[in-house]
Amino acid sequence: MERDSSVFCLGEDIGIYGGAFKVTDGLIDRFGPERVIDTPIAEMAIVNAAYGAALTGLRPVAEFQFIDFIGCAFNQITNLLAKAHFRWGAPVPVVLRGPCGGGVHGGPFHSQNPEMYFVHTPGMKVVAPATAYDAKGLIKSAIRDNNPVLFLEHKFLYRRIKEELPTDDYTVEIGKAKVVREGRHLSVITYGAMLYIALDAAEILAKEGIELEVIDLRSLLPLDRETIANTVRKTNKVIVLHEDTKTGGIAGEIAACINEDAFDWLDAPITRIASTDSPVPFSPPLEEAFLPRVEDVVREARRLKAY
Amino acid sequence: MPKKPEMPRNKAPKTATAKTKPSPDAEAASSSLRCYNIPDYRLEHPEFSITMERDAATDETRYSIDGDLSADPPPIRDSKYLKREQCIEIYRWMLLNRKMESVLESLYKQSKVVGGVYFGLGQEGCSCASAYALRKDDWMGPMIRNQGALLVRGFSPADIMRQYMAKADSPTFGRDASSHFGDIKDRNVAAPISMLGELVGILAGVCLGARLQGRNIAGLTYVGDGGQSTGVTYESLNFAAVQKLGVVLVVENNLWGYSTPADMQFRVKDLAERSIAYGIPGVIVDGTDPCQVYDATHEACERARQGEGPTMIEAKMMRMKGHAIHDAAQYVPKPLFDYWQKRDPIARFENYLVNEKKWLSRDAHEKLVAEVDAYLEQERAAAESSPMPTPDQDSAHQGVYCPPGCHDIKPKYAEVKYGTAKKASAKSRQEAEVHLR
Repeated sequence: MERDSSVFCLGEDIGIYGGAFKVTDGLIDRFGPERVIDTPIAEMAIVNAAYGAALTGLRPVAEFQFIDFIGCAFNQITNLLAKAHFRWGAPVPVVLRGPCGGGVHGGPFHSQNPEMYFVHTPGMKVVAPATAYDAKGLIKSAIRDNNPVLFLEHKFLYRRIKEELPTDDYTVEIGKAKVVREGRHLSVITYGAMLYIALDAAEILAKEGIELEVIDLRSLLPLDRETIANTVRKTNKVIVLHEDTKTGGIAGEIAACINEDAFDWLDAPITRIASTDSPVPFSPPLEEAFLPRVEDVVREARRLKAY
Repeated sequence: MPKKPEMPRNKAPKTATAKTKPSPDAEAASSSLRCYNIPDYRLEHPEFSITMERDAATDETRYSIDGDLSADPPPIRDSKYLKREQCIEIYRWMLLNRKMESVLESLYKQSKVVGGVYFGLGQEGCSCASAYALRKDDWMGPMIRNQGALLVRGFSPADIMRQYMAKADSPTFGRDASSHFGDIKDRNVAAPISMLGELVGILAGVCLGARLQGRNIAGLTYVGDGGQSTGVTYESLNFAAVQKLGVVLVVENNLWGYSTPADMQFRVKDLAERSIAYGIPGVIVDGTDPCQVYDATHEACERARQGEGPTMIEAKMMRMKGHAIHDAAQYVPKPLFDYWQKRDPIARFENYLVNEKKWLSRDAHEKLVAEVDAYLEQERAAAESSPMPTPDQDSAHQGVYCPPGCHDIKPKYAEVKYGTAKKASAKSRQEAEVHLR
């Protein structure tokens, strides 16, 4: 926002309150109420206003207080933002951001992972950083991108990861995955909070002599098919792990991509670990059973290693 | 020097205080009761309603009309602002609008149109006169029947014909139909989509963007008596009202949303009453009287340019054809059709210009009609001779995505000056109490 005065924010309670998760804390003092706008509770209007402002050459960043409320603006995102450039040549440099994911006892409407509705929408870009470093680099790339970008911030990670970040203006390229941990026996492809589940499992398995390679996708659309194919060619056995529910989750899409790009390198069927196909339950024991766990990854990795 | 755009501030509501308990009558007459004024500029106030009835003998279910439809059309109300030349210009746009749609109809009947055709028959005065009130820097978002507004804003009849014929050189290169196109560079037109009410929010955003760039502009758009039923209409207009964005919303109450009469879309007597719910000015005009439409739109645009926020204009008229060309509109009761036929905007305005004001001689009128006909013939020939797109040629145009170098996005009016004074944040960052941990 300092570098480019065209960037402004709009959303519910993002101004004086600083946002439900304090992500925009202090921005209104620094940039003023004209560029940090508290809106009525009106997701459709928020998205349409962002779109209209983008038509005049600005770069709006619109917040959904919980990404679950993105359903309220489904039509606006899929039929207005995603299709504008193709239909009538109007670029839409809008960032839509908000807290996603569970593990915080939020219940069905404060814990969702809605990425696939929008990965299925040509014209959108979808990113989901798992580290603070990537969050900074990717939000800058998202803002500078001339396309509508859905920027998913996993709320479980908001206050659990702390990193020292470089203060300079660096970006992380959208559409590029990262090899977070190298290994030679099998690959775990994942993103978001599940990255830490995968890394915990990798530590446990390392003690048994099983080396996990862990890939953080970082971007879901466009998907980094090259990095995915490379890891398959290296380890020949793949687990795709995501917190999103299983059916229609990106693991199916990734399995199809591996089928097209690197089938001959597979030594075992692709394994999916995902949340149960159900709404996110509220009570902690129920939510725990719903979400993927470290034990699931360990168990499947052992099974695959022996395949 | 334009007025600096102002952030809306919340006002504390006035509360009535009483020292003793007032009598019920006194309470009813108390000054804490709010009074609202919706100016109605029409020169007639017909009372009629459309109800469903069932034929006792055949069980046929149809619409019938209650009310007095015998009155003759009133005169055109003199405009407070329009000069003779401007009235003639608006009349020419209306003629072009009507005749272009006749050409579209004949193209359709020759099987040269892809898909359906939507007409604004009977609504030309509203589309053309309202768009005529805009200045170059203002924006417009057309709905399906506002093709006249597209013409006023600078698109050609050939552009619109090419859209309908899905030609390779249509404004959307054949990728979208009918009025789903726009221009962010010169003509400031925001493209609609098929879902209704969205344009209200889009124009609110355009006005927001302009204001951030130091400009208060007018964002003119339309919604029908049917379209205004959507939730997004409410959210968008409320957003514009709270943020004081200069959306000029013309609610085109043409009595029919596809086959559903207005009486089945809302319970209020006049849609303009809805403006009270948003806290914005609302007015009623006769949609078949271009002078009334222009005056109301002009005043609303001026308010918008002064940073005073949105206005709702309800324009009353009737849709004189079906929803689209396939729809014969047999559900419309004939007396209603006859009533509005007498109020045809082009016939009324011709009478006003030629007979009443004597601003246009019979001769000059004939010349004008001939000029419009000749122009349209030219446009039709040009549009018909355009090629159809091929997938190979289509791939040369902009893609689904806008890659680096595809568009150079810059603020349209001026750089944003808010919050640009260099300073570090004074607030210290601490652990904060958050919604969920």
